[in-house]
Amino acid sequence: MAKWGIAHVYASYNNVLITITDITGSETISKATGGMVVRQDKDQASPYAAMEAARKAVEEAQEKGITNLHVKIRAPGGSKSQSPGPGSQAAIRAFARAGIRIGSIEDVTPIPHDTTRPKGGRRGRRV
Amino acid sequence: MARRKTRRASRRMKDKWKSKSWYTIVAPDMFNGAKVGETPATEPEILLGRVTEVSMQELAGDFSKVHLKVKLKINAVRGGECLTRFVGHDMTSDYVRRLTRRRRSKIESVFDVRTKEGYKIRVKILSITNKRINSSIKRSLREKQYEVIKEMAKSSTLSQFVQKMISDGLAKKIKKECKPIYPLKTVEVNKSTVLSVPREEQVDELIISEEELEREKEEREEEIEEEEPVDKKVSKTDVLKLFQDIEGVGPTMAERLYDGGFRSVEDLTSASVQELKEVEGVGEAFSKRIYKALHPEE
Repeated sequence: MAKWGIAHVYASYNNVLITITDITGSETISKATGGMVVRQDKDQASPYAAMEAARKAVEEAQEKGITNLHVKIRAPGGSKSQSPGPGSQAAIRAFARAGIRIGSIEDVTPIPHDTTRPKGGRRGRRV
Repeated sequence: MARRKTRRASRRMKDKWKSKSWYTIVAPDMFNGAKVGETPATEPEILLGRVTEVSMQELAGDFSKVHLKVKLKINAVRGGECLTRFVGHDMTSDYVRRLTRRRRSKIESVFDVRTKEGYKIRVKILSITNKRINSSIKRSLREKQYEVIKEMAKSSTLSQFVQKMISDGLAKKIKKECKPIYPLKTVEVNKSTVLSVPREEQVDELIISEEELEREKEEREEEIEEEEPVDKKVSKTDVLKLFQDIEGVGPTMAERLYDGGFRSVEDLTSASVQELKEVEGVGEAFSKRIYKALHPEE
């Protein structure tokens, strides 16, 4: 029986966090982040960083016997951005490139029915 | 220095991983006990309470239900297998988002219902109309929906009800019943959660190790060997099955007859209507009916 896992990809505009767990989500098999593979902070969320991080996480998972993955993509959500950052696409591609079979791809961004007030105040962020 | 530290840490992690073994997760009977997947753990105790989400496509091979996810919770471990119970279902958010459009009304409703055995389930219904409608119509639609769901839950067991929720049975019924009030374009059972389990149905969280399972099996074999000359002892489930072959007898009635002291079909055949009636939960009409079924010549 092929062993399945879940790849939780949290792609914000500042970083990419990849955690590979078993199908219950309670056992972490491997994890990697954009910040672990690039030198500069501004590159953490880049597609390249996501690709490297995904490769790193998948390699460890494959060592532990995982051959198939369900992918759960997540953006910050809540009162923050609801669309995943630039790393999410690259991460999925990297999983496939590493020889993993991908089952379902799902967006699991937490979306509130109401919401708390977004940060930044009434006049917004002043840059 | 720092490098040595990390290396040591990584080695410790590796060792911990090696001590883990994989357990197979098995779906409950209502999904024909399909094997769902595997989960690693150091010891079986920590498996209890883990929840896994499986799409209906994996569970039943039904491609039209890819968006439907069933939640299963581990409540017992038998050797290398984890037994689970149904705790709810959900839909993928992209499917729900695809349904909703502009200038249509979305009616979301939440109901708490009880099944025949006493399971309390929260059911969320999502229905969509072709045009925007008044909230007064929405309200009466919700009322109607509640009636339908309540009735359906009351007359079915948990597994039947889950089957109806998942297989569109409930959605179709609602659609039909609501049509006189306002025609609904789509009706979906959006989400469900099992809120409480009746006391009789509660399974103690139990763990049976591989060795115990072996021992149990051996004991059973020994017992069978001992009992072989006495051919009379047939297990309860077999008797119940035989009872259910009689016309008009379902699982519940078979159970009641068995509890009433009848152990074989012959016992039933020799019993009179009066005797049958004395069994708890068996009425006059029913006892006459089975008497007739067992004595076709009269």
